[in-house]
Amino acid sequence: MASMWKEFSKGLWAEIPPFRLVLGLCPTLAVTKSAENGFGMGMAVIFVLVLSNVLISAVRKIIPKKVRIVCFIAMAATMVVAVELLMQAFTYPLYQQLGIFVPLIVVNCIILGRAEAFAAKNPIHLAAADGLGIGIGYTLALTFLGGLRELFGAGSLFGHYVMPEGFVPFALMVEAPGAFICLGGLLALMNCLTIVMSRRGGRELPVNAPCGADCCDANK
Amino acid sequence: MREIVSMIVVLSAICAASGFSLAYLKQTTQPTIEAQVLTYVQGPAIERVYPAASNKPVEERKAFELEGRKVMVFPYKDGDKLLGVALENKAGGFGGDIGVMVGFNLSNDTLLGIGVTTMSETPGLGTKVAEPKFSKQFVGSGLSVDLKSKGGNIDAVSGATVSSTGAVAAVQAAARDYQALKAEIQKTWQ
Repeated sequence: MASMWKEFSKGLWAEIPPFRLVLGLCPTLAVTKSAENGFGMGMAVIFVLVLSNVLISAVRKIIPKKVRIVCFIAMAATMVVAVELLMQAFTYPLYQQLGIFVPLIVVNCIILGRAEAFAAKNPIHLAAADGLGIGIGYTLALTFLGGLRELFGAGSLFGHYVMPEGFVPFALMVEAPGAFICLGGLLALMNCLTIVMSRRGGRELPVNAPCGADCCDANK
Repeated sequence: MREIVSMIVVLSAICAASGFSLAYLKQTTQPTIEAQVLTYVQGPAIERVYPAASNKPVEERKAFELEGRKVMVFPYKDGDKLLGVALENKAGGFGGDIGVMVGFNLSNDTLLGIGVTTMSETPGLGTKVAEPKFSKQFVGSGLSVDLKSKGGNIDAVSGATVSSTGAVAAVQAAARDYQALKAEIQKTWQ
């Protein structure tokens, strides 16, 4: 139980994608025009990530080493098509918004990264906890990023107008450059925070702060 | 040798399993997806074609057989009187098929208007065929519409000739369907 919590919670802060685990940037930049889009994309990623992690972990012993990447991708792709169909059937407006980025979850580095680095080497319950944690972290991050861009770019949050009257929307924020500016700013903030916190704690400064310490080392 | 066999077997098994499960899921979600598309894609397009309809065109739709295809017809009524119908057809554009919902006035065989349902044209160029500046040219035109370059009276969107041609071709295809089905349509709703 304790190890499951450890694997789950690391995705929420220590290795939160895309701020610490800087993977899956393409959808991060593209779909976070609003908090709702970011949240929807995150939910789709949670679904795919948990199921693909569990599946891959379940069959990890019978997958031959040489074709493991193909097997991982095939399983992730199956999950993604399932998500796409379910989204079309039950949340069509969200599907229209996310469009091409739903099928592109197949090549989202987070999915393959977690499969290769974690699920292929760990038992099912740990893989599920890892997928859920990383997925929820990703969802939180995307929702936050989307909310930030929506707030300044359109003056609203989750579709409700919240800014004071007379606020002029900063349209750049909901365009592509706004995504880069926001993400860059947040990454810088995260690094700054890491440095300040390790100074306070009297710990050594991390050499490569954005990746946490051992995000891709599954043997630890 | 053993390794190769195991690679082939495992990969085939995984692919077969995903193939079967996706085929099953596709079949089970098909009706729901169709209903969603009707509400979110065709519904708004019909509203653009005849905003003043007093009935519910999507709910009162009927399917007609034409040359082995299924053509969905959406009635436009004022009270109980059938004024027009809308039906959809598609033609190849620049980035794939352009689907166009076309409304027809039953009394004088003219177009009530068009609304683009699906397309994957270049944003900012080809997508202009869905904007009023292009689509309102069709309102009131006869059934034999064509681009100005081909002797008709529709101005193509500059920089998007292929998309414009595709949209017009879709309208023409819908007009052909309408002519072929007109008698049957009038019998059904009268």
